[in-house]
Amino acid sequence: MEKERNDGGSSNSGAGVGDGRRRLLTAAVSALLLEIGFDAVEPNVLEIFTEMFQCFISEVGNSSRSYCELAGRTEPVLGDVVIALINMGVTLEGLEKFAARPNRHVLAAPPPTQAPRTPAMLSAGQRARPPYHIPAHFPPLPDPHAYVRTPTHKQPVTEYEAIREKAATQKRDVERALTRFLAKTGDTHTLFNTDDNQMFPLIACKPTFPAYLPCLLPTDQVFDFEELEYHFQVANRTEDIPTSTKKEASDGEAEVGDGENNDSRIKCKSENSMFGFSEGD
Amino acid sequence: MLTAHQILSLTGISFERKVIIGFVELTIVPLRDTLRFIRLNAKQCRVYRVCLNDQYEANFQYCDPFLDICQSHPTTRSLEVFSNCHLVAAQKIDPDHDSGELHIQVPPEAQHLIGEGRGLRIGIEFSLENSQSGVHFVVPEGEGSLSERSAHMFTYGHSARLWFPCVDSFAEPCTWKLEFTVDENLTAVSCGELVDTINLLNNRQKVFHYVLNTPACAPNIALAVGPFEMYVDPFMNEVTHYCLPQLMPNLKNSVRYLHEAFEFYEETLSTRYPYPCYKQVFVDEVEQDVSAYTTMSIMSTHLLHSIAIIDQTYITRKAMAQAVAEQFFGCFITMQNWSDLWLAKGIAEYLSGLYAKKCFGNNEYRDWIQHELAEVVAYEEQYGGIVLDPLQPPAVGTSGSSRDPFYFPLRNIHTISPRYMEVMRKKSHLVLRMLEQRIGQELLLQVFNKQLSLASNAATTKISGGAWGHLLLSTNLFVKAIFTVTGKNMVVFVDEWVRTGGHAKFSLSSVFNRKRNTVELEIRQDCVSQKGIRKYVGPLLLTIQELDGTFKHTIQIENTVVKHDITCHSKSRRNKKRKIPLCTGEEVDMDLTAMDDSPVLWIRLDPEMSLLRSVTIVQPDYQWQYQLRHERDVTAQNEAIYALDKYSTPATRMALTDTIENEQTFYKVRCKAAHCLTKVANAMVSTWAGPPAMLTIFRKMFGSFSAPHIVRQNNFTNFQHYFLQKTIPVAMAGLRNQHGICPPEVIRFLLDLFKYNDNSKNHYSDNYYRASLIDALTATITPVISVVHQGAPITAESLSADTRLVLEEITRVLNLEKVLPCYKNTATVSCLSAIRRLQQCGHLPSTPTLFRSYSEYGQYVDVRMAAFECLVDYVRVDGRPEDLSSLLTVVENDLDPATRHGLVRLLVKMPPFQKAIKHRLDTESLVHRLWNNVNSLLSNDSRLRCDIVDVYFTLYGTRIPLCLPIPELQGVLRQGHHRDHREREKERQREKELEKEREWEREQEIALMKSYNAKLPTMIKTESGAIKRRADSPPLPPKPFPSSLPPSNMPGPNPLILDNIKKEPIEIKTELPDYVENPELPLSHESMPKDEVKHREYLSENSVSLPGLQGPPGPIGFEPGMFQPKSDPHLASKSKKKKKDKKKHKHKHKHKHSSKGRSSSKDKERSHSIPRDKDKDKSQHASKTPIDLVMRVKEDTRETLSSYSSSPSPPPDNMSASNSTLVID
Repeated sequence: MEKERNDGGSSNSGAGVGDGRRRLLTAAVSALLLEIGFDAVEPNVLEIFTEMFQCFISEVGNSSRSYCELAGRTEPVLGDVVIALINMGVTLEGLEKFAARPNRHVLAAPPPTQAPRTPAMLSAGQRARPPYHIPAHFPPLPDPHAYVRTPTHKQPVTEYEAIREKAATQKRDVERALTRFLAKTGDTHTLFNTDDNQMFPLIACKPTFPAYLPCLLPTDQVFDFEELEYHFQVANRTEDIPTSTKKEASDGEAEVGDGENNDSRIKCKSENSMFGFSEGD
Repeated sequence: MLTAHQILSLTGISFERKVIIGFVELTIVPLRDTLRFIRLNAKQCRVYRVCLNDQYEANFQYCDPFLDICQSHPTTRSLEVFSNCHLVAAQKIDPDHDSGELHIQVPPEAQHLIGEGRGLRIGIEFSLENSQSGVHFVVPEGEGSLSERSAHMFTYGHSARLWFPCVDSFAEPCTWKLEFTVDENLTAVSCGELVDTINLLNNRQKVFHYVLNTPACAPNIALAVGPFEMYVDPFMNEVTHYCLPQLMPNLKNSVRYLHEAFEFYEETLSTRYPYPCYKQVFVDEVEQDVSAYTTMSIMSTHLLHSIAIIDQTYITRKAMAQAVAEQFFGCFITMQNWSDLWLAKGIAEYLSGLYAKKCFGNNEYRDWIQHELAEVVAYEEQYGGIVLDPLQPPAVGTSGSSRDPFYFPLRNIHTISPRYMEVMRKKSHLVLRMLEQRIGQELLLQVFNKQLSLASNAATTKISGGAWGHLLLSTNLFVKAIFTVTGKNMVVFVDEWVRTGGHAKFSLSSVFNRKRNTVELEIRQDCVSQKGIRKYVGPLLLTIQELDGTFKHTIQIENTVVKHDITCHSKSRRNKKRKIPLCTGEEVDMDLTAMDDSPVLWIRLDPEMSLLRSVTIVQPDYQWQYQLRHERDVTAQNEAIYALDKYSTPATRMALTDTIENEQTFYKVRCKAAHCLTKVANAMVSTWAGPPAMLTIFRKMFGSFSAPHIVRQNNFTNFQHYFLQKTIPVAMAGLRNQHGICPPEVIRFLLDLFKYNDNSKNHYSDNYYRASLIDALTATITPVISVVHQGAPITAESLSADTRLVLEEITRVLNLEKVLPCYKNTATVSCLSAIRRLQQCGHLPSTPTLFRSYSEYGQYVDVRMAAFECLVDYVRVDGRPEDLSSLLTVVENDLDPATRHGLVRLLVKMPPFQKAIKHRLDTESLVHRLWNNVNSLLSNDSRLRCDIVDVYFTLYGTRIPLCLPIPELQGVLRQGHHRDHREREKERQREKELEKEREWEREQEIALMKSYNAKLPTMIKTESGAIKRRADSPPLPPKPFPSSLPPSNMPGPNPLILDNIKKEPIEIKTELPDYVENPELPLSHESMPKDEVKHREYLSENSVSLPGLQGPPGPIGFEPGMFQPKSDPHLASKSKKKKKDKKKHKHKHKHKHSSKGRSSSKDKERSHSIPRDKDKDKSQHASKTPIDLVMRVKEDTRETLSSYSSSPSPPPDNMSASNSTLVID
């Protein structure tokens, strides 16, 4: 009885356990039915009975446990069950007689199932003994890899060519995957007269309103405008540069507009650079 | 009548319905007591009430002659007639002629109000609905309230009559009070000072009050209303900038140097800025990037850019400086008559040029001037000399052609082609620059200063002072002012360059005379009778660089041929290396081994560009090379580069390479040198040694340190290098190997550039760089070489390996742009033209669907224009009338005025068909459609109207379009027309010959290339030789040709070609039935002209088919003009003429044929088809015409090589076999 209750409480513990218990319940119900005189039962009905039976046993178990805990015990005793039954409105009279009825079927005990083994913890390395100041009842230390720092990386590839190659390939793959995905999921234009558009799918263009916004505020690249502004200011500053560097700077500026070609016949110097030049990066 | 003051009050501006309701009150001062009618300008407005002094309601009439310009000639379709009517119409409402659309009758009871010098107030209530131009509402579709969607409106153009009644003249300045009632979340920006903003009682609306106390003319009044964000210039508080929501960061960056422009102008002119404030409004969908109005400029929002953008900065900064310059001249000082426009425009341009010189450097400035000069020269040579001030003829030499050389009247601003205005502006600038050189910059600036101070004084007075005239500038006043300031009389100069059109054209050749140690120069002006060119008489500066230095000589030009001997200063010496002093005073080492014994290093003519001229100098290549290497002036370097592409020698290669690599050289010269090197390398392809041109340079400059074949991570801080990095790949992509294709090495190089492009560490955006890489890929594309099956559709599988890679790259970039759009979608723009190029070359099927969707409203404007460019090209090559018609629908109905204008300009630039050449698009309905537009539908949009007039001229010339039936009426006038037609014919012939020559060159190239490809050079050579012989041989003996054309023979050569030209079956079919149906049409009187046109076409296309003309009279060989006499066969005298004409024809055909080296494929085709059919050809004219037709089609599609391919000739047996089967069919 108790065992059954416990089972009911952990009905989700595993399909195998639940299955066996259910089968046992079904067998009990069938036995009772046979005892009463039925020789056949529809599966649905059997199911319903089983369900009722299970509910009943669960209920008995639950409320017995409650009574036992109420009495300050952890293990139910018979009295708890009795009170539970009474409380459920079950008359106890004749129960003994019923239990001792002669023609009752005895069901075979279910085969014992093997408890699933918990997999062994993966252990790496030698567990260290706890230092002497740690009392022995404290849990043991975890595997060393959990707290010891080890140099794990290999020497990175520093060859410029390979890095560039890799970066380029990676970027390209990401871009291609993204665009392919979009092309597959949205409307496309085709370059050929055939319907087959697998090779060169073009994502269809959609009108946007207002059309100028995405184009004037492009998102193809993320700039830190404050930093750019800073570079700009630095490159264009004129106040605090000593004269010699100032000359250099103006030479640099002249590159854009002027080069060395400046025709001396025309007196005009390019004094302003058109943008800044950030010399240092 | 003078206007003293005007109140403009717009009380309702509805964005939903695009309607304006308003009220104006003009205070006018009658000049005489007997004023009965008052005429004002108003267009597309509905006038409800006119009230005089608030008391007397006046009757008014509205009359706009532009509603039907050629009312008096309803059936005409010739531009000649239109041009006259156009002028008449424009003058009928010209406020300078005291007229206008709105005639207000002064009621008798109000007559007492009129008195000389007494002000009269005219109040007019009006509304404006469905405006066609002048006012533009931008209401983007989408969710949210109007202001969330950035809905805004603004006025554009300089035609105030389009949005309120006024005196729409530049010569009528008055003071203004402007009131605008708008929704409370909107801002109204207008001219003058904002004195007050009043919330209306219900708090839903605001009234903006602007007052303009400085007199301004109505065309300079503008308005912009929208949810603008405002930014007060941190350097000048008087300057305010407005932009559309979310663009504030870009705005702040774009305007950061505007104050410098102000400072520069104030300093240069030593005058204060004439107004108390200045406003810049950046709006969407404007027609022109910059329009300056009194105290404000309306600019394109597309000028805005962030700090990371390089290329746009140059444009934006120039544009804004230009607008500020126009505040001084153009807004504050306006013109007396529109013919004085050149002064206002020219001075503003000149000032902004000076600023540009300061801002961007002298090299940039000189390069720009040279470019403008070239543009003006090109325009004048194509269309005729531009007369800046046509009102007053020059004092001397009036004998010149009195009639306008142009197809549009020059006497009114509303009838002038926009392109003309553009070039005229440039010419004005150049003329002012010339003036600067004549009188000195300081004195010229003093003249400006004087005008400005006079005007400033006048502006503070009342109208009664009568001093407002100083606000107007005219040519005469200007000359007078120059005289008072400088004491120099510039009348002659003005007569010569302002009141006379055209430019000078010199060609110079020289010989060194060793004995006398002189250079014998010959300066010729050969083409003085050509369009746009005139004879120059006067001094001409010449500089000779000798071994001992630069020497200037002034030569007096008195005649068309001037010979002059100049004694050299330096003795020729044998030293191979020495220091040579240059004009700048520096001394450079030169390697003189290339020279012969003359001491002349190079010669330059008019080096300062102090004349409007074009110069051709003949000198040996080493002199050009010295000029390129050592002359310090960028214009000289440019000239040298231009000249050097004809001298493909290793020495030229070295000179160009050194120039590209020279860090001291101006970057634009280096870029040009790169393009020139492409041509030189292609010309010397057979002897070229080493890696493809420029590859080493590029790797040296931009390759990374440890792996030169991988491009460095982008770093655009050095702009010189940035521009080179953009240019060199494009230049390299133009390289061709011996097979005429781009070397695979170069394609790989380009693809690697794509692959390794890494902008992550860059401070600047690489969008323009990426776009130029795509342009480079475009430039690698050459006509398809192997076509598997002539008739098979092009699929992804049939692409060649290289094309596949190129297309993959283009697809990737284009797709990526959808997710991560770059600035202005530059990459998409380039991708579209790349795809079109692939279509042209036959790699992709030529279809317009892709471009159509990109050209729709809602795409970015640059993308739309790029798509339209592709569509226009498609229509030109493969289009059907419906395609052209849909383009015209865009022109008529598109929401964006900029697109409408831009598209028409594209149609002018790339006309769908050539004038006077029969074409499937040349239909009567097209004529009528264009005509209706110019004649009446575009009555309010003069700019677009003039644009379409340009198209009309490009397609049909000034006479009646050839595709129209000639009305019987002309039979009466045939004598005259006859002559006309012959003239026209001659003209046409000349044009055709030019065209043919060009084509011939092109085809020679292709032929050459293909001959390599086909690996059948000998065969092709013989073929072309054969053709040449045939062409040179005298015309074939006359053969009788049947008057009835047996249609049964038609399919003869036709299907073959159908087979080859798979793209055009429709066209051919549509034309063919025409022909078949009307075999005996020549006999039916009515449809004769039409048919005859066609026949002329056939004839002019094929000399073989010329069946001699003694045969029975038929339509063959008759020009349109010739036809009329033919229809009247009794005139015996005509027969002689006929013969003459026939001879002419023969001659013409000969010409055409000889000059028209057909491409090898054509040759092949001919060799396969024609010899077989030759006999048939000769005997049966009918079988020939289809060939012609097809030839025509093919010519049109010459760019779509997909159709007929340059395939390495399928075995002739197969070919002929297929022919024969088809013939049997």
